[in-house]
Amino acid sequence: MLYRWIKRAVLLSMIGSPLCAGSAHAGLGGDVAGALADGSELHGIVNSITLATYDIQEITADAGMRVREYVNRDGVVFAVSWTGPALPDLRRLLGAHYGEYAAALAALNHPGLHRTLQVALPGLIVESGGHLRAYAGRALLPALVPAGVLAADLL
Amino acid sequence: MRSIIRIATMLAAILLVACKGGNGSLLTGNNPVVPPLNTVALTVDTGPAGAAGAINHPYVTVKVCAAGSQTQCANIDHVLLDTGSVGLRLVRSVLAAGGVSLNAETDAQGRAVEECVSFVGGQTWGPVALADVTLAGEVAAKLPVQVMDDTGAGAPPPPTCGANGTLINGASGFDANGVLGVGVFAQDCGSTCVNATAPLSIYYGCTTAGVCTAENAALAVQVANPVAMFGADNNGIIVNLPNLQNANGDAAVQGELIFGIATQTDNALPATGFTVLGADANGDFTATYNGSTTVLPALIDSGTDSYAFDDPAIPVCPSATYGVFGGFYCPTAAPQSVFAVNAGVGVNNASSKVDFAIADPHTFVANAAAFIDLAGGGGSARFTWGMPFFYGRKIYVGIDQRTAGSYTGPYYAY
Repeated sequence: MLYRWIKRAVLLSMIGSPLCAGSAHAGLGGDVAGALADGSELHGIVNSITLATYDIQEITADAGMRVREYVNRDGVVFAVSWTGPALPDLRRLLGAHYGEYAAALAALNHPGLHRTLQVALPGLIVESGGHLRAYAGRALLPALVPAGVLAADLL
Repeated sequence: MRSIIRIATMLAAILLVACKGGNGSLLTGNNPVVPPLNTVALTVDTGPAGAAGAINHPYVTVKVCAAGSQTQCANIDHVLLDTGSVGLRLVRSVLAAGGVSLNAETDAQGRAVEECVSFVGGQTWGPVALADVTLAGEVAAKLPVQVMDDTGAGAPPPPTCGANGTLINGASGFDANGVLGVGVFAQDCGSTCVNATAPLSIYYGCTTAGVCTAENAALAVQVANPVAMFGADNNGIIVNLPNLQNANGDAAVQGELIFGIATQTDNALPATGFTVLGADANGDFTATYNGSTTVLPALIDSGTDSYAFDDPAIPVCPSATYGVFGGFYCPTAAPQSVFAVNAGVGVNNASSKVDFAIADPHTFVANAAAFIDLAGGGGSARFTWGMPFFYGRKIYVGIDQRTAGSYTGPYYAY
């Protein structure tokens, strides 16, 4: 029932309902409408993929950029993943959680010397890695990950 | 009689010159062409003044001149040798202290070309400028370099670059006065930055008012691999570091960085026992760790200070009791023996199993700079052979589309 409502909300926001567009929260912790707004921001095409316990809003943009936003059955984005020749705007993708991620980076010893990085905070886990031409990473909210879903599934 | 002596003297002189030229130099008239000096000292130590405490950082000194100038030059010490990135990046305040001021390139609209590069732990921001760069006897003239703008003299970074304190333009970002990126490509970004429909957030054009807009950048404009731009010895590099004298840590290690592969007598390809790992279009080969079937993108990376990979079964050293080694791996039964299997991509598809060990950093020599058997986690998406892999090996880095003997880049080899 809730799932059907979400589908309707997706369609409405695609048509451009001002109510839904106005309440869009982008990125982690956000909603589906926010994921679609992220797609516009990335100049990408959005594909919805339905899986057993969650959906993926997959944004495919130019030059091999791909962002996935993982939506649980409550309509909340519980994880995001990215891959591409440039780092996407993590302020947008990590949403309200960007601040604590940035604080963890700023606390690093010699931050320039990482090709891979893991930030594990109580409410946020981020893996980021790569170099020019090939970046990849993911961020998730552990409390909202559906039962039985592994971090390794979220790529 | 005099003419015989004259002829004999000339013959003797020619013979002398010919003998001197026995090392592969070309005899043309009276002027043998001596190949350029193609090695620079490579030192692992604790880092530059003002940003010390480095672990497993290899450094070179780079001579940087404003393009076309013979006088506005500085020898920049403690530039980090980075086989995992491409391009020379220099801290602006360090250049200024050396009396060198590099001016930003401008684009077709007259805007300053600037660049934001993500190094995972942070981002560098600053103008792309042309410099004449000299390493040993090799010169890269009018080389596009990135000035890491720690003084804020140029346009401020756009909101997506280095937000919330993640800008790493100063010497403390890399524990170095600059980064010498000598990886497998000639330009740092490549074709995806040349004509993307929506320009990537890497190169920018900035107005004098400081408004920066992401834009495409032609290959000739992009920050370039200095080695690829040398007149000779420009098909790759060899990193040659000896093994540690003390297995638990050395205060310093002296080695050499050699320019060119199979171009001179000092950079010949090995006859046997040579593993060549072709890299993909992103510059990575692949590796599997300790028997796992998960194939990971991999690098041989002098810019990474340890073996870096994910092994959730190995405990992590707590910062409280391990200080600077907090966050690295602390195996319960140390040293722990593990292995990884490398596989090349494309034509150079060798497969190579490498055994290595992970020690407990409590066994390390205090305040030393170089360590083997140091490993740490960093994410499950990559496997990185950092500096411990370099000690006691010659590491070859072959540049994209450049040949050395029967090998064509991009590749990493040992």
